[in-house]
Amino acid sequence: MSLSDDSMEPLSPTLPWDRFQNWVHCICVVTFDLELGQAMETIYPGHVKLTEKEKMNICYLSFPDSNSGCMGDTQFFFRIRQCSGKKSSSASYKEYNRSCPAALQTDQGILYGFVYFRQIRDKSIRRGYYQKSVVVVTRLPMIALFSHMAGIIAPGFFEHGETSLEAACHDIDQWPPPIPGNTVNLPIMGTVVQVRINSRSDKVIGMPQIKHTTPLMPANNVLPTINEVDIFSAFQPVLPHIQMLWELVLIGEPLVVMAALPSVCSNTVQALVSMIWPLKFCTDYRPYFTIHDSEFKEYTTKTQSPPAVILGVTNPFFAKTLQHWPHVVRIGEMMDATPKAFNKLKKAGGLKTLDSKPGVYTRFRPYLSRDKTFLKRLAKGIQTKRPVEVQNAMMKRYLLELTQSFMIPLERYMASLMPLQRNISPHKGPPQLRAFDSEEFLKTIEHSGPQLTSGLKGDWVGLYRRFFRSLNFEGWLRYRQQEVNQKLQAIHVEALCQADLMAWIQDKQEVEIVDLILRLREKVVSAHNQKIPISSDLVDKLNTHIDSITATLPSDLQTVLKSS
Amino acid sequence: MSVHEVKLCLLGDSGVGKSSIVHRFVYDSFRPAMTSTIGAAFLTKTVIVDGTTYKYQIWDTAGQEKYRALAPMYYRGAAAAIIVYDITQESSFRATKSWITELQKHASPNIVLAIAGNKLDLDDLRDVQYSTALSYADKQGTVFVETSAKSAANIPALFMEISEATHQN
Repeated sequence: MSLSDDSMEPLSPTLPWDRFQNWVHCICVVTFDLELGQAMETIYPGHVKLTEKEKMNICYLSFPDSNSGCMGDTQFFFRIRQCSGKKSSSASYKEYNRSCPAALQTDQGILYGFVYFRQIRDKSIRRGYYQKSVVVVTRLPMIALFSHMAGIIAPGFFEHGETSLEAACHDIDQWPPPIPGNTVNLPIMGTVVQVRINSRSDKVIGMPQIKHTTPLMPANNVLPTINEVDIFSAFQPVLPHIQMLWELVLIGEPLVVMAALPSVCSNTVQALVSMIWPLKFCTDYRPYFTIHDSEFKEYTTKTQSPPAVILGVTNPFFAKTLQHWPHVVRIGEMMDATPKAFNKLKKAGGLKTLDSKPGVYTRFRPYLSRDKTFLKRLAKGIQTKRPVEVQNAMMKRYLLELTQSFMIPLERYMASLMPLQRNISPHKGPPQLRAFDSEEFLKTIEHSGPQLTSGLKGDWVGLYRRFFRSLNFEGWLRYRQQEVNQKLQAIHVEALCQADLMAWIQDKQEVEIVDLILRLREKVVSAHNQKIPISSDLVDKLNTHIDSITATLPSDLQTVLKSS
Repeated sequence: MSVHEVKLCLLGDSGVGKSSIVHRFVYDSFRPAMTSTIGAAFLTKTVIVDGTTYKYQIWDTAGQEKYRALAPMYYRGAAAAIIVYDITQESSFRATKSWITELQKHASPNIVLAIAGNKLDLDDLRDVQYSTALSYADKQGTVFVETSAKSAANIPALFMEISEATHQN
């Protein structure tokens, strides 16, 4: 028997819970107490601290909020703010955030909860029902992955109790770190879940390039995606309006999704947010929101205009509380096998109780004309009972192309703001990106606008203007500027390394030479802090430059420089 | 060249050396002081026997009584199981018998069962006779070897036999 060399003993064993924290913040068990109502029963691992407010939010958000009586097992998810002052731990996600797609980055101070709720009749309990939730709390917006995991961990807990939770957490503590681009094997309770982590360099359209960086393993469970939800099913009750919904999400309008079940509203909110992929949805959203939420007052106040957030609710009380909201998406129960595909648009302010029909209640007039051809294709698919997966893929592709058509002119304009390569000089400061000028941009779309890639007619300029006022635009711009500026810095460092600095200093004053040394040193520090993405080769070159230039200075000055 | 994927689980009393056997198999080393396993440890190992590649997915379960009920999660769907006892502890051999009975009832019907009598390096303190264990294993139709994770004795042989037996399935 020969042993292959793929199994080196780990040199430095990691501390317990180090790896766990790469993936999961904690796992909670929430129970229904006759006296107290929802109550936190267990937080695992025990050393994880949650504030009272966080505990309260998790407790309320882990139970159905409506009287629709979710019997049996129900799965849904929520998103909450973490209390301030505890945000530093997200630093461990630096690596991940640097190379994952923007829309999959963790957000400072935001936690996601993946709930598995069980309600069954149990005569031995005074209330007559067993009601408990297991909640996986994490910073990572990997919706599909953690929903799947909650579906494995929770039933184990309901059957075997706390030891099973202990075992599950221990399994998670053995997971490899989430490195974008890698296919990872995640052992959990006797099975191995295999999934690929999206990378920023994935092609947006077309199949992702699968690279197996880890040896293929016998995986019982291959997940096709870490984050995608079934958007076709989510939007089925409001299909004719998806294009309008896309506009509303893109420009960051306040939206509320009203549904009978938390599973439906959380899925629909996630589907909305993912409509503008690969663009990141930059304002707050709550796949499931209850009247007990600590942001309830802030988000429902009538003294200000509604906040630019997306909320998913099930409690009929919200129909009244959020009466003043401009756009309401009403999703019926999706048990209905033959939904009315072409329901009418409802005028806002009309019927708004939870008993009212599915539809989008708004006065918003879309900027773009409706794509009837696409809607017909979808409708035909429903008629001919085309598989949901195919409809889903069609819809994703359609939305992606729409978003790309909208974004490509912006990306192109952004590229035009880059300074020319020949203007990059080692003897000047790093070049700057020109400022984004929205009017200048709008002039470019006449000849190279979305009409090049999209057949849709309408007021594209109006849509851009609205987009410029949104946080989605702000987020995109900041992200791009940061990316481009880093790149410029790197190009500048490269120019510095290649320049013949020894020749340059020949006729320079001492003060100029010292200044140059200090600037070079600054670059080395930035490279160490990973503020500039450059190779260690270049850093070595910089250090060589520094040493040889320093050597040309008088020895007293050298001493001063070395001690500074 | 064919590739064989094998889900394997280790069962047996606390302290008989399950993790040490896995450690010896995967890393070919021995740690005198192993911490007790929580739930189960997961390791992988690829070996080549007679030109066939075996990719092992190993679930090394915790021996403590409180984790007893979780065992079905780990042996469910397993292609092979090693039940480990300590040759210096009669009680751990008795536990082996109840594991074999449980697996024969609840694990997949063509699971390869192996019994490993560990701590062969402590032969002076032997409490379970080789012949007793062998005749039991023969009756049950399981693989049987006495091993020492410490000295590495028979560890490769154990996995070689399991590899071949799973291959025949």
